[in-house]
Amino acid sequence: MIKEKLLFQRIISNIDGGLIFAVAVLLFISFITIYSAGVNYRTSFRYISVQSIALGIGFIAFIILTSFNYQYYKHLYKFIYVLSVGLLISVLIFGSVKRGTRGWFDFGFISFQPVEIAKVMFILVLASILDKKEKEIRKISFLIPVFLTLAGHSLLIMMQPDFSSTLSYFPVTLALLFIAGVEPFYLFCIIVSCFLAVGIPLAETFFNMQTQFLQSGTCITNFMPSFKNGLTGIYIIASVLLFIMACWRFLWRLRIRIPVIYPVILCISILLGCAAAVPVEKSLKDYQRKRLLVFLNPKFDPRGSGYNIIQSKIAIGSGKLTGKGFRKGTQTQLGFLPEQHTDFIFSVIGEEGGWITAQLTLLFYCFFIWRSLVIAREARDRYGSFIATGLAAMFTFYAVINIGMVMGMMPVTGMPLLLLSYGGSSVFSSLCAVGILCSVNIRRYIYY
Amino acid sequence: MVWQREDKFAYETFLKKHNIIFVFCIFLFICLSIRLFYLQIINGNRYRRISEQQRLHNTYEHAPRGIIYSADNVALVENKFNYTALFYHLEREQTSLTDSIKELNKILGRDIRPAQVCRYSGVVKLSDNLTTEEMFKIQEKKLNLKGIKVVKEVHRVYYYPEALSHITGYTGEIRIEELLDNEYKIGDYVGRGGIEQFYDKYLKGQDGGWQVEVNAKGHHVKAFKYVPPKIGASVYSTVDLKLQTAAYNALQNSDTGRGAVVVLDTRTGAVKALVSCPGFDTNTAGTKDFSKYLKDKKLPLFNRTLQALYPPGSIFKVVTLTAALELLNIDYRQTVRCTGSFELGDRRYSCWYKPGHDVLNLISATAQSCNIYFYQLGLKVGVKNLEKYAKKFYFGQKTGIDLPNEKRGFIPSPQWKKLKMKMSWLQGDTVIFSIGQGALCTTPLQMAYMMSAVANKGICCKPYIVNRIEDFNGNEIYKHKIKFGEQINLSDRTWKVMHKALVEVVENGTGKRIKIPAVKIAGKTGTAQNPQGEGHAWFISYAPADNPEIAMAVIVENGGGGGLNAVPIGRKIYEAYFNIEPENKKQK
Repeated sequence: MIKEKLLFQRIISNIDGGLIFAVAVLLFISFITIYSAGVNYRTSFRYISVQSIALGIGFIAFIILTSFNYQYYKHLYKFIYVLSVGLLISVLIFGSVKRGTRGWFDFGFISFQPVEIAKVMFILVLASILDKKEKEIRKISFLIPVFLTLAGHSLLIMMQPDFSSTLSYFPVTLALLFIAGVEPFYLFCIIVSCFLAVGIPLAETFFNMQTQFLQSGTCITNFMPSFKNGLTGIYIIASVLLFIMACWRFLWRLRIRIPVIYPVILCISILLGCAAAVPVEKSLKDYQRKRLLVFLNPKFDPRGSGYNIIQSKIAIGSGKLTGKGFRKGTQTQLGFLPEQHTDFIFSVIGEEGGWITAQLTLLFYCFFIWRSLVIAREARDRYGSFIATGLAAMFTFYAVINIGMVMGMMPVTGMPLLLLSYGGSSVFSSLCAVGILCSVNIRRYIYY
Repeated sequence: MVWQREDKFAYETFLKKHNIIFVFCIFLFICLSIRLFYLQIINGNRYRRISEQQRLHNTYEHAPRGIIYSADNVALVENKFNYTALFYHLEREQTSLTDSIKELNKILGRDIRPAQVCRYSGVVKLSDNLTTEEMFKIQEKKLNLKGIKVVKEVHRVYYYPEALSHITGYTGEIRIEELLDNEYKIGDYVGRGGIEQFYDKYLKGQDGGWQVEVNAKGHHVKAFKYVPPKIGASVYSTVDLKLQTAAYNALQNSDTGRGAVVVLDTRTGAVKALVSCPGFDTNTAGTKDFSKYLKDKKLPLFNRTLQALYPPGSIFKVVTLTAALELLNIDYRQTVRCTGSFELGDRRYSCWYKPGHDVLNLISATAQSCNIYFYQLGLKVGVKNLEKYAKKFYFGQKTGIDLPNEKRGFIPSPQWKKLKMKMSWLQGDTVIFSIGQGALCTTPLQMAYMMSAVANKGICCKPYIVNRIEDFNGNEIYKHKIKFGEQINLSDRTWKVMHKALVEVVENGTGKRIKIPAVKIAGKTGTAQNPQGEGHAWFISYAPADNPEIAMAVIVENGGGGGLNAVPIGRKIYEAYFNIEPENKKQK
């Protein structure tokens, strides 16, 4: 009894008020916007009730996770990993299909998407691996278990298939590796190969679209046939590799001695990236590629894949300084804006609340992430810091991708805006994440 | 905060990287903020406009055009309403054209077929002339008739379709090319020709209609406001219906049935009649019947009063006469002998009256329209002076009448001939110039204008056809002010002699046929040779000679002699104007 009382007191006294305040404000904005987005379609009640239930469950989880000592996760990491993999496997077996993705456990009134919580679990697992293998962190061989862990999750998610969720694992992993002290050069090589693996198929699609759009030859489109027969590509890759080695040799002559392992690793990662481009090209569907690229020029396909971006930009832009007013956004209420309660919720905020509200929302989000990073800095141990950083990276990545998407700066991916979008699982998992953050925060002085 | 103290070095390296991540996050959010600012503040107005365009949809109701009145306030053009059934494709209701038509025919008991597909909106016109009863029937069974709408449409009705066709003009749907430079929109009707075109901005009124909000599926959500259409302003023209119809009938009954008449009020310049024959039925505009006018070889759509250029022929002798009287100070009693031909160099120019007029003085030469006399006058005056006086009488210049597409006419000159034909001006050119032949050409309106100037002794009232315009509430929004051209300054003696000569033409000369006992008329006939065939018959005149009221120009295309063919038409117009019973009726 006494212990419980103490715990409660400690939660109250040590908890980060700013973080909680930011979360509360974002959730408040989320509720108002979801209501407004659904009011004209008589779906507000359903959205709000589902969201409230998720919020209730999430709040309970938040309390539990806050009071639970996060340091147990470090020792339980194997169990957590198995649990998350089990969730992902069982959703592949028992899950129901929504929008072409087998990713939901359907409980009738409410459905649950295990990917959302699996991401949080993955951060806990990765942080504990990084924390435990502190000594060998600078070795390149260290990356192997990390990527095996990552592959377990991402392959299972790709089987659903949920491309955008898979994508969200990479920046979080990179951020955690970076902060744990992995050689930045290795990370750079990883980024290069990932970039090549995704970039080559996308570039091909982009030029195809450009040709269709322009319907006249440019110098790039004239080169396209020669790229397609493969030989030219091989020549280009070979010359790039030779160039890298020549640079290294030149620097060596200038007495800037770089170990030979670095250019070799770079070359290998380039080759790996190019090789990986082949399976990625096969697995990416045509509409996905178009969606990923159409933000560069929505006019390619104004009625198809470009429609969302065009309408979303119009919605945000037409809000101007003060917005059109609550429930008065024409883009929202007349159905021009697609997916307005989930992925495009920020457009609704921008349209109905105007620049003031949208910028305030951004500021609160930024404030929330700053608080999480402060928690990471002040955590009691490395493990806590890693968890907090990973979670902050996750929130940042989601926010930037989503808000960038609705403003036409980023590819259209189906990423929700955590804490703002409608979606029971994402609210639940974000509240769990906040709970873990608070758990790290309140234990920064005392070890319990 | 334990490990910070335990392992300072590790913590510091951690902090460095942590800061990098922190700065990177802030940087990303700043990027987002900049983009947000760019979209909402810098481009806000543009996007707001696009979003308004997307959601607002205007349904137009055409305003009835204004009414055109004659001088004695008789309506020449009016509007009539009829009900039109239209078919709209509505996405949500999944309408089909054939089903709706079948249903409609069942209700009305008629056999209606889709008449016309509107090029722009995919709306199908089903039937033009529904009766009021049928309209109510459709409105009653509206639920069964998916996609069918009954619209009230305005039609223009012309009461004098042929005689006034070139004055009123007609209306037609706007062409896409015309949309660019005006505030017109697709589907608007604009005036074509005549007053309908020239005063279109007054006549067209202001379209009204509903402003409707549509959602992403194109469905009407709610209506914002209804603006009732504003009827166009009424135009009061100066046309004298009696003269106009008399002139038109007279021209139609003439030999060729082609020609033009312009009657001007000499005191104000008001156009009393402006007839181009043959006219066309303005009520058929926009229907299939209209195309027959395009193929007609008589060119009914061609407004001969303003657009046709004819050689003036003998009526130009008025100018030659004036120039001679002014410059040469000749005694009009001095006589010349006409032998029927005139030799200049090795060429022989003959008079129209082959045996010759024998002895003539200036007055009788004008009355008989003797070419020989005027050849000599022309040579004495010289081409420079002829050109100068032609210009003085407004040849080669637009009169500035308020009707569209007026032609300028042309005065030849030695410089022009050198430039265009690479030939020098010969005496022979002067000779034929002095009797109004050669490259000289003019419109009937110009001739009437010249005649009104002669009647007023040099005061030129510019011709106009619209006197005033009143809007729907009766407020005058336009009132014509009489405009004067530059006065023709000639000596009194010239005017006197000229009037005497022109009266003599009617009394004893070529214009004898117009002699009306009650009224003294002054005029001049002309027979303009032209390469197209028979000469054009001209007659220009004014009356009463002592106190002129109206001036007139008559031309019968390829009508032959002016005295024979044009003068009787002039007579009929004067009879109509002065309310004189036609002579042949008296005889009966």
